Amino acid sequence: MAEHVIGTIDDFPPGSSRLVKVRNVEIGVFNVGGTLYALPNICPHQAGPLCEGTVNGTMICNAATEWKHQWVRDGEFLTCPWHGIEFEIATGRALANPRLRVRQYPISVDQGLVKITL
Amino acid sequence: MVFTVDCDVHVNDTPGALAPYCDLPWRHSLEDLDGANYPYLQIPGFAPNFRLDPPIRGMHPYRSVNTAREMREELTEIGVDVGILFPDHLLLFAAIPHPEYALFLSRAYNRWLLDRWLRDEPGLYGALLACPQDPEGSARDIEEFAREDRIVAIYLPTAGVNPLWGHRRYDPIFAAAEAADLPVVLHSVTIVSPVFPCQLEQFENHFARQMLGHSFAMMANLVSIMHTGVPARFPNLRIVFTEAGIAWAPYMKWRLDKYYHEYRRMVPVLERRPSEYMSERIWVSTQPIEEPDDPNHLVETIRHIGEDRVVFASDWPHHDFDHPRALLRLPMPQDLKRKIMGENALRVFTRIPAPSAVGADSEERA
Repeated sequence: MAEHVIGTIDDFPPGSSRLVKVRNVEIGVFNVGGTLYALPNICPHQAGPLCEGTVNGTMICNAATEWKHQWVRDGEFLTCPWHGIEFEIATGRALANPRLRVRQYPISVDQGLVKITL
Repeated sequence: MVFTVDCDVHVNDTPGALAPYCDLPWRHSLEDLDGANYPYLQIPGFAPNFRLDPPIRGMHPYRSVNTAREMREELTEIGVDVGILFPDHLLLFAAIPHPEYALFLSRAYNRWLLDRWLRDEPGLYGALLACPQDPEGSARDIEEFAREDRIVAIYLPTAGVNPLWGHRRYDPIFAAAEAADLPVVLHSVTIVSPVFPCQLEQFENHFARQMLGHSFAMMANLVSIMHTGVPARFPNLRIVFTEAGIAWAPYMKWRLDKYYHEYRRMVPVLERRPSEYMSERIWVSTQPIEEPDDPNHLVETIRHIGEDRVVFASDWPHHDFDHPRALLRLPMPQDLKRKIMGENALRVFTRIPAPSAVGADSEERA
């Protein structure tokens, strides 16, 4: 395990998503509201290129919305380009299946440098 | 002896029998249909169906049960302790187009059921006939009839229903069932009609139509109920699917989950996987139970659906009825047999007393 510098904080502004390569491992780096997340570019469902998908909000409809549809939490969910499965970036959790979860790499900012531990 | 609840038996509901229980002006219609000796499931204006096949000699006999006494004796004969009663001809009820006539007819059936079938004989319980043609009127009737303690379910006529159960126009019926703490039971029958599953007329014979009528109806109505979020919007509603066997259920459960992965944002009303709703509040009844060469495959299928999710049904007195031994002879542990034959049903049809309360009666018959 070692820390790898992948760029400066200015390379990953809020709302951005970028694919980087560390020791031949493809990693998606997402800045959600000022917090950085690093996810492997492999979907836990059928190994699709997860991090090449789009970042969106999501639709909800429940008793709290009086059973009306509402679009919420823009920028917090990653959609796999293969099967459209939505993952909550902050937790790695698939909305459609609690058993499906993408892991996270430790990512930190040190004196303006963004580092991933791998 | 395993305590046996039979979730699907049929009473012979002729127009003439129901006529005295029907309000005017529609009582006259039933009186005029009486005595015409119409064949099973093909009475114009009562059990509308497009029957296509010529008779072939040697086919199975047609059986009907005409009184509560007969029903009690026959169920005891095949080893059933408790039976839940459904109609015969009014299996085609949903195909009746006229909403006012349909509501009067459903009311007549429910009155007749209570008066002639649920008064005297032990172990007979009833499913109220819901009226999809007039959901508000039906909901009011459910509220009233559900006060009777021998009513243990709401029967949702499924053959020919259009739109399918799950459409929001039926919300009042689901709400009334939930408020009365009564499960809804979807029951179909093979029908040739212009609504789902349509184009069955292209098959040369009833064998082919029978393959698809019931099973497509259950699958389509399950999907309909899921996609409008009925299990989420009515969180205490219990739902039972009957008369399509059980093997379709794992297929649909897995298929719904598979596509929920992709399409979850289209159905955000489902906040969990469809299988999770199915594993908590949806049951399937056994008849006509599949009969694979290796019975272990059937036991495995039961486990895929869930040991708590499968309830016994005989479909007595119909031609394709299952004797309880069709389940009891399967290679599965005794505790699973007890669940399927009765214990699971008591958790769905919660108004049926547990066997301790009817124990003396059961032992006497054993």
